[in-house]
Amino acid sequence: MWKRVGASAFALALLYPLAGLLVPIGPWRWGNGSATLDAVRVSLVLTAVAMAVVVAAGTPMALYVTRATPRERIVWQGILLLSVLLPPLALGILISLAFGPHALGALLDRAGLKMANTPLAFVVTQVYVSIGYYVLGAIAALGTVPRSLEAQAALLGADSWAVFRRVTFPLARLGLAVALSLAWVRALTEFGAVIVTAYYPAGMPVAIWTSLENFGLPAVMPLLVVFLAAALPLPWLAHIAAARRATDA
Amino acid sequence: MLDAHIVKRRARFVVDAEIRIAAGEACALFGASGAGKSTILACIAGVEAPDAGHVTLDHRTLFPPQLALHRRSIGYLTQVANLFPHLRVGENVRFGLSNGAVATSDAWVAQLQDRLELRAIWDAPAHAISGGQARRVALARMLARRPQLVLLDEPFAGLDRHLVRALLLAIAEWQRALGFTMLIVDHEADVLERLCPRAIAIEDGRIVQDGPWRALYESPATPLLAGLLAPL
Repeated sequence: MWKRVGASAFALALLYPLAGLLVPIGPWRWGNGSATLDAVRVSLVLTAVAMAVVVAAGTPMALYVTRATPRERIVWQGILLLSVLLPPLALGILISLAFGPHALGALLDRAGLKMANTPLAFVVTQVYVSIGYYVLGAIAALGTVPRSLEAQAALLGADSWAVFRRVTFPLARLGLAVALSLAWVRALTEFGAVIVTAYYPAGMPVAIWTSLENFGLPAVMPLLVVFLAAALPLPWLAHIAAARRATDA
Repeated sequence: MLDAHIVKRRARFVVDAEIRIAAGEACALFGASGAGKSTILACIAGVEAPDAGHVTLDHRTLFPPQLALHRRSIGYLTQVANLFPHLRVGENVRFGLSNGAVATSDAWVAQLQDRLELRAIWDAPAHAISGGQARRVALARMLARRPQLVLLDEPFAGLDRHLVRALLLAIAEWQRALGFTMLIVDHEADVLERLCPRAIAIEDGRIVQDGPWRALYESPATPLLAGLLAPL
């Protein structure tokens, strides 16, 4: 009973900033209705694309690091930490320069791929800001799967992919869901890096910023509610699905 | 035929043992705890890589280079059942049947199910059964694929005496019927004698004697071996 009271107090404190939504700041209003819907669409669709890239590239990397020797693992984890420690604004500037016309951008430009203010720039930036979180979480999740079970599965004739699909993934899925939801939230809420590399197409964080600039606080509040309603379901459902399958098993 | 020369550095000594077992033969690897028996088995199974030497099974090279585990026809059972906890008992037993070409049948799986008394727990989650049941499931899962070589590393440790007796009988029968080659590790001679006419004695990673049990009892090669074979 007391433990639940403690947990409830923790949750109340955690969500206390949302009380700001109740502060009287004048009547809420839509700054620009269609732009808001566009921002929701941009954020959800492009973040989903970014997450597909994060999972496709990050999961094999996490598997490799998990299976590496302890000494090698420390080196890889240091590199991954470096990627998440960069301040977002600095990361945005670095991405702009590294993919700019004086570097890789020239090649991409020739291939018809624009790396400034395009959906591609938006997705690339989201991948960079979130993949480190996913991989670090995935390493922790995959590390909980006993190697002896994977070896046993292989001795029973399962090739690497079958071992991952039938043993490793089912046993690590809850942790992988947590890692993915952290990466999703990190990418979806990214503002500092995205505003440098992809002011257009505007996602929700940038839309909130422009609404604040153009219309003031009353225009920000409804956007915040939309933002939370759009951002929460996917990672929450991932947790529910992973937990349900774990319970079934 | 299994032809293995395992060289593997351990903390206290270097395992250096040459073992040849004819196809269909059952052989015991006997010695004190920590003598290197499990290391030899793990290297033959492929879950550990030897530092040097070679392993061939029916003229197929398993090492070197290290052949991928899923390409070996080896059943490997240790004292940890290693069941897949997210699957049911039946799914565990059938796990290996969907991987590659496996010459097996539903009748064979049903026989394993009956003989190892798995019918009552067939649909139970693998994480919810007892240790003895888990060991029986692991044995069924291993044999379901009909491997060419069966490696058993103290498979009866911690089991009730009557269960050990039943498992010994079943394994001996299946070994004769299916004709798989078998290498068993244990430090209890009476268990091994039931299954294997031939024994290889190991001390500090080296073979000190190889022959029928009677020869080991009558003239043990070392005082330690004599002590291990002496009645309590």
